[in-house]
Amino acid sequence: MIEIKDLHASVDGKAILKGINLTIGAGEVHAIMGPNGSGKSTLSNIIAGRDGYTVTKGSITYKGKNLLEMSPEQRSWEGIFLAFQYPVEIPGVNNTYLLKAGVNAKRKHQGLQELDAIEFLQIVREKAKLVELDQSFLSRGVNEGFSGGEKKRNEIFQMAVLEPSLALLDETDSGLDIDALRIVANGVNHLRSKDRSVVMVTHYQRLLDYIQPDVVHVLMDGKILKTGGKDLALELEERGYDWVRQEAAA
Amino acid sequence: MSVSLQTVRDQAWLAFEARGLPTTRDEDWKYTDLSRISALLGEQWWQAAAATEIDAAAFAIPNLDAYHMIFVNGRFDAEASDLPAGITVSSLAGLIQDEPDKTIELMAYHADAALSSGLTAANSALASDGACICIAANTRLDKPLHILHVNDGGTSHLRSSIEVGQHAELEIIEHFAGNHDASGLTNSVTAIRLAAGGRCTHYRLQLEAVKQCHNGRVEVKQSRDSAYVLHAVELGALLSRTDVISKLDEQGASCELNGLFVASNRQHVDHHTRIEHNAPHCVSREHYRSVLDGRAHGVFNGKIIVGKGAVKTDSAQSNANLLLSDKAEIDTKPELEIYNDDVKCAHGVTIGQLDKNQLFYLKSRGISEEEAKQMLTFAFADEILAKMGSQPVRRFIERAAFAKLPIITDLEGMLV
Ligand SMILES: Nc1ncnc2c1ncn2[C@@H]1O[C@H](COP(=O)(O)OP(=O)(O)O)[C@@H](O)[C@H]1O
Ligand SMILES: [Mg+2]
Repeated sequence: MIEIKDLHASVDGKAILKGINLTIGAGEVHAIMGPNGSGKSTLSNIIAGRDGYTVTKGSITYKGKNLLEMSPEQRSWEGIFLAFQYPVEIPGVNNTYLLKAGVNAKRKHQGLQELDAIEFLQIVREKAKLVELDQSFLSRGVNEGFSGGEKKRNEIFQMAVLEPSLALLDETDSGLDIDALRIVANGVNHLRSKDRSVVMVTHYQRLLDYIQPDVVHVLMDGKILKTGGKDLALELEERGYDWVRQEAAA
Repeated sequence: MSVSLQTVRDQAWLAFEARGLPTTRDEDWKYTDLSRISALLGEQWWQAAAATEIDAAAFAIPNLDAYHMIFVNGRFDAEASDLPAGITVSSLAGLIQDEPDKTIELMAYHADAALSSGLTAANSALASDGACICIAANTRLDKPLHILHVNDGGTSHLRSSIEVGQHAELEIIEHFAGNHDASGLTNSVTAIRLAAGGRCTHYRLQLEAVKQCHNGRVEVKQSRDSAYVLHAVELGALLSRTDVISKLDEQGASCELNGLFVASNRQHVDHHTRIEHNAPHCVSREHYRSVLDGRAHGVFNGKIIVGKGAVKTDSAQSNANLLLSDKAEIDTKPELEIYNDDVKCAHGVTIGQLDKNQLFYLKSRGISEEEAKQMLTFAFADEILAKMGSQPVRRFIERAAFAKLPIITDLEGMLV
């Protein structure tokens, strides 16, 4: 699905990613853990195409194509989705309208016919049910006046509608209560299939109780210092991160 | 001692001759160069246009259920109008004939105002017609009154007077429109008085033809517990200046001024607003936005004066501006004069481009850069229009405003 090779990136001349190597196969779920400021959001943002980052070295190949050459909207059409750590509010832009425009832009790109209003509404209703999002949210401005948890659920709702091939969840679990966490996990598990991949950036092991990852990575100081299975997450929760750094240095 | 209407008119004319047009040396007119009016219209720019016939139906607001008072080239068109029964609605010209004394009061009300410019004096001297409305105490006009001023170029001086009695309610839509290539001047003064507990919602839609000049003045005097809401929209005209003065003269009065400019090409739009808190416990809200494209120039000057006795004043003002091109320009200035300590006054100004985070968010959902920009521009402006209670007026303005901007692929879908 995606292959990241020796990725170096900086912001305002400050090096943040210092040689990331990461390969994610179709159908796999990976978790990326790491302390604050280690570069997790930077990595997610670079994959989604946010500007302001300079890739100084390395490459990202997505479905056989050079990802770094694509615009953010092209990446979306090709199936990349980022659930933002801090979703912005966009007052005045209707939630449903945004999604309809996004879905139809993608369909156009794929040479498919655009969905009409009724077909689209059906999909939207169904997906809203999946993430237990009240219908009233559909006609509100994007994230406008939403609580923290509602914003995260809205991200998962959008993901469910857009049906990406590669979903990146940047700390979608942070700040959620158990009910919301279950709903979010439900949305992600629903998406899982043999040709879809998921990357979960998280601080906490508890999300992984709901969504079983195939691989767990530790991102520290702009590098992936350790990779393991689900047990690694448990170990990190217990012992913190310092030992990983020491082990890597040794 | 009685003065004739002619005397009042003559005095106003003398005042106009003495003052002439304001110049850019005048602080209040620094950014708005009225010499363009005489350059466009000639030395006799103040001379009224000839009577003509225009099909007012072409300027209708779709789906609006309202009474209509229609003026063509500054003259009341009774045929085309549809006035409500049971309340006093007359045209100024009619009033001059039937009740000249009442007219004197109406004219004198402004002619000497120290705040007004030579243009207002010219208006007092020359106003030919306008809407004169009186809503009796404890009554409400069951439908809005659409006051449509259409012109085919040339100059008209319009003088309107709106009186809302105690606990009476009125909704008016003042609408300035034209569809021609000529240059003219619309010089309009609207005086509104709200008695205790009176309420008035005032839509002021400036959709003049592309080469028309527009000078407007809205002066509102408010008694105890009265409420005034203005939705001012500036879309048309080459050069447009409007002064809005709201006097909160007695306690508990409130005003809300919402303004939106959408300007492109070489349009110039200027609003000077002045809210006077002259009594305790009054509330004012003011929200202005502009979207400026091409070489458009916007001016916003928002003065708020809180007098010594106006304790417990609650006032908030915001002005946000979106510049879509490098050549577009905005001059914005909040002016707060506060003469007592017991007040709440918030204000803020922003000038900028579109928010990068919002743009990225939309693009990451598959929206193209161009469409994302259009959506955000629409949303920015629509936040002001969303304050309108009248859905037909809001829709009408949305369509007219966005016809001026790069086209949104599916505007209908955007409408919330
Ligand atoms: N736009 C930016 N400008 C300056 N520094 C940034 C920017 N984005 C991230 N950084 C810095 O890069 C580092 C990694 O940040 P981030 O990727 O957000 O970490 P994480 O998501 O792992 O907490 C931090 O030191 C942060 O301050
Ligand atoms: Mg982060």
